[in-house]
Parts: sequence; structure tokens; C-alpha cells
Amino acid sequence: MILIGENLNITSSVVGEPLKAKNAAAVQAMAKEEAQAGIDVLDINIGPMRKGGGELMEWAVKTVQSVTDKMLSLDTANMDAMEAGLKVSKNKVLINSVSLQSSRIDLGLELAQRYKADLIGLLWSNEGMPRDANERALNTVNFVYKANAAGIANERIWIDPIVSPVSVEINQVKACTEFLGMLGEIAPGCKSVAGISNVSSGTPVELRCWLNRTYMIMLMKQGLYAGIVDGTDKDLIAIARGKQPEVVKLVNGMIEGEKPNIASLPKEMQNYARTVRVLTGESLYSHSWLEV
Amino acid sequence: MAFEIPRTTYSGKIREVTAGKGESALTVGGETAFPFYLFEGQMPHLPRLAMEVYDSPPSDWPEAAVEPFKDVINDPVNWAKKCVKEYGAEMICLQLTSTDPNGENRPADKAAEIVKKVADAVSVPLIVWGTANHDKDVEVLSAAAEMCRDRNFILGPVEEGDHKQIGAAAKEFNHIIAAATPIDINLAKQLNILLGNLGVPDDKLIIDPTVSGIGYGIEYCYSAMERMRIAALTQQDTKLQFPIIANIAREAWKTKEARISEKENPKMGEAKRRGILLEAMSATLLLMAGADILVMRHPDALRLVKELIKDLAG
Repeated sequence: MILIGENLNITSSVVGEPLKAKNAAAVQAMAKEEAQAGIDVLDINIGPMRKGGGELMEWAVKTVQSVTDKMLSLDTANMDAMEAGLKVSKNKVLINSVSLQSSRIDLGLELAQRYKADLIGLLWSNEGMPRDANERALNTVNFVYKANAAGIANERIWIDPIVSPVSVEINQVKACTEFLGMLGEIAPGCKSVAGISNVSSGTPVELRCWLNRTYMIMLMKQGLYAGIVDGTDKDLIAIARGKQPEVVKLVNGMIEGEKPNIASLPKEMQNYARTVRVLTGESLYSHSWLEV
Repeated sequence: MAFEIPRTTYSGKIREVTAGKGESALTVGGETAFPFYLFEGQMPHLPRLAMEVYDSPPSDWPEAAVEPFKDVINDPVNWAKKCVKEYGAEMICLQLTSTDPNGENRPADKAAEIVKKVADAVSVPLIVWGTANHDKDVEVLSAAAEMCRDRNFILGPVEEGDHKQIGAAAKEFNHIIAAATPIDINLAKQLNILLGNLGVPDDKLIIDPTVSGIGYGIEYCYSAMERMRIAALTQQDTKLQFPIIANIAREAWKTKEARISEKENPKMGEAKRRGILLEAMSATLLLMAGADILVMRHPDALRLVKELIKDLAG
């Protein structure tokens, strides 16, 4: 699986300020940390920044690529900033993202074509967030149709089904999981990408890793191609690289219907097992889900 | 092949919680099926109707809401007596609005004295309600809990921000907690877990999911309560298997639709009828969603809802 590191982010408590202030040392340190941890693609997120967005993205791309050859994913709603980043990138870039909204899609596709970039197809349409797996499928078909018409082959499209926080709406979490299993048939050749950490948005910070890792395993089981993840979570990366097969086995077993005696497991495995229960909707989420 | 009526498979039961003391004690909860699904399970205790009493005369009620209490509105003790004797209130919900630090700011010990007087005057269980100001509610509800120890009141609203202090007082002086969260099933479950961790016994806890009236988001309340019952009864979610209290009267009567006079807008029709129906219909919806205790205001609305419960329980 391809891991996209989310840590170079303007909202990050670690590099947010340095990024805004164009402090190269701090930004490069984070980029190197992610690369060394085994991250494949570095996401650079400057948010929707309007004023000075182009200048900042150009600076960030140059700054990061001077310390690593990893592929970059450029993350901004400001398409001028996106273009400024694309212009100075040495390697192929992933555009993060192009939504299906009519105000955005044409320009996004045009940029991808002009700069020979891959792109994340965000299944957010004029109607907003898709409500279930079927609406995700419909949006995928519409997106791929438009992208193909613009000359972009399926292989360059990374579909993002939109991960929702488990503390907000479990049915949306389930719909996202379900949809991923359908994607291969709906859009052969398209890749998939999921913002894994969204699932734990709103959860106490120190507990988020359990939801992130478990949900990643569940999506991997559905064939997930790439995950946007916390590049500082070593266990998560180890799981993605097949180095913790016992955890994957437990999670997959439960998805297939096994009912382990949770109390008899070691504490860490209990955490994974309880997390599967909340992410499948078997048990209702609360901030104390690991304790009950 | 004969047609088979689909049936829900239930795996859980709502806990029974008894409020009040001795002969006047009342039990709520105990359901083994969705609300009034008597063809699938039992409702051993039908929902109970409490009536509101305020510790200082309300200044912002529409005339129709004041009218039944005109003679007692300055006197919470006689107000409570009238609700029980004349209007058939099964519980009294004493709203301690005078303790609001942004209003009259009545001190905790004075408020507790009023609570005691009301409790002594009526033979039904008491629900004692603060102002949702955490610091003040801790003082007021703790003082009332201590002054009336062992009388098994329902104390609310207990929120995450004050659950430790009020929870400790309820435990020590033997009262019930109404755990309040803002229309969010995950947060409701979390607060119940926290109260459990604190040592509040399972038969001393009820859920206040926060409700609103028709036209003001009642569908969200309905959905949250419905999901609580689905989790409690079909998913063995032990942290949601508690009775539910719905403090609906004040929500229904503060709406523009209940307050506007016929003179101001003749198209709206008679104000009294409108207010009563808004209260009764809001209460009806919450009954369908799983309320075990409804806090009501107008005696006519209470009568309508009581009849409905009788019909449904037929």
C-alpha cells in the first residue's frame, strides 16, 4: 500500500507556524522524518490560503524537494497555488484534490492535464457529501466520465470516498468501507485513496491511533491503494508494511465474523478488537470505547 | 406459505429506576421492546408525567400557560400541591430558575430550603432542575441533595462539566442523576460511562438527551432517542439501557408559535389552544421516541397525553 504522509500541514501544531513563516529547517526536518519513517508520498497542505498561497506553495515544494526525492501531493483549495506548486515540481505530482463540484472540476482536470499530474478525485458533488455507498458510486461514475473526456486515463485517478469521523456518523463510516469494495468494478484501473485520520477526528488525541490503524486495516481488506496517514505513527506504518500480521489477522478475522473473547486478549489486541466493534457499528462509539 | 409478521429481535432491557421514597415512590423503565411495541415486548411501567413548578414567578410565559397557576404562581409549595391534587401530576419538576447567576442569583442554601418545603408538601417524587450553570448547579444541587438526603430525587441537568461534583453528592445522599448531553448519542454514552466510573449505581441514572419542540429540531431529538433505544435493546449496549427524561414543556412554550397572540396574528388562531397542542404533540413525539418521564406544563396538555398513553397501552 502507498502511504501518503499528512504531517506537512498548515494546521499542524508542529510545522504549521514554521510553514507559514517559511522556516525551511523545521519544514525539512518534518519531511525527512516522514521519508525516513517509510512514507511514500509527502502531502503538502497549505489549506485554502488565498493571499500569498501561490508563493507559499512554490516555496514549500522547492524546500521539500531539496531534501527528498519522494513524490509530492499538493493539497490546497486555491487552484492558483496548486499551479504554482505544479510548475516547480521536479517529479510527478498528485493533485489533492479535485472535487466533482461544477465550480471546481474543470479547472482541476485542466491542471492535471497540463502538468501531467495524477489527481485525487474527491467524491464531493454539488449536492455536498454523498449520503451512502450508492451515491459514492454515482459520483465516481460522473467523475471518471468527465476526467476521461478531458483525456485523463483511469490509472491517473485516485478516488477518495471521503472518510467520516466515527464520533459523528457511523453509517457514513460503514458506507465508505462498503463503497471501497465496489470501486474496482465501477471504475476499473482507478486507484483509491482515503484520508485515514479523518475517522478519528474529534477523538481525544492520545487515542486516535487505535482508530486510524484499525480503520486502515479494514480498508486494506477492501483493496485500498493509498492512505493519507500520520507519518509519525510507527505502528501504523509497520502494519501497512506487513510487519504486524497478528494485528491484521485479528481485525480481518473479526470482519469475517469471528468473535474473539476480548477480555482474554493482551491489552493492545483488546484495543484493536474493541475498535473493530465500533468501526463496524456493532458497538456504539464513545470516547471511552477502549474501556467498555 | 403463510405470511409471517416480521419481529425485532431484542437482546437487552431498559433498567428500572425508582424515584422517590416509600409509598409515593414510582418506578420507570423496564422496557423490553421499542416504545409501545406491546406486540413484541413489555412496558412494565408506563411513561410518567411530571409537572413543572418554578421557584420564582416566571415573567416570560404566555397568558395561557400562566392561567391555570394564577393563584399559586408566587408560591412553589402550593403550586406543587395544586399540580398533584387538581391536575394529576405524577411527579413534580422543580425548576430552580431563581438560582441563575445571571438573574436573581438566589443562594444555594435558600434554594435548598425551597426544595425541602416542596418535597415535604407533596406525596410524589421530585425532580430538581438547575440552570445548567456548572458552578452554581454544583452548589445548589449539592445543597438540596444534602438537606433532603435519602429522598431519592432526580437531580439535573448533570453535564460532563459538573458530573463529578453532583455525581458525588447524589451518591452520598442517595439521589438519582439525570445525565444531560446535547442531542448526541456518543456523548450520552460517554457521560453514562463517566458516571459509572464515578460509582453512580446503574439504578440511579437516567438520560436527559436534551429535547426541543416541534419546529425547532425535534426530529433530531427523536432520532437520537430512537438510536439510543436501538443500541440499548438490540445491540446490548449496557451504557444506554437507562430510562429517558424529556424536559419538553419549557421548549414548547418558548417558541414563537406558542407565544404570539391571536390579536398580533389572527391567522394563527386561538393562542391557548395552539400552545396546549404544541406541548401535547411535542410530548407525543417524544413518547414515541422512548421518553419515560415527560416534564409538562399545561394541565390540558397533560390530560391529552395521559389519555394517549392509556389508549396506546390499551
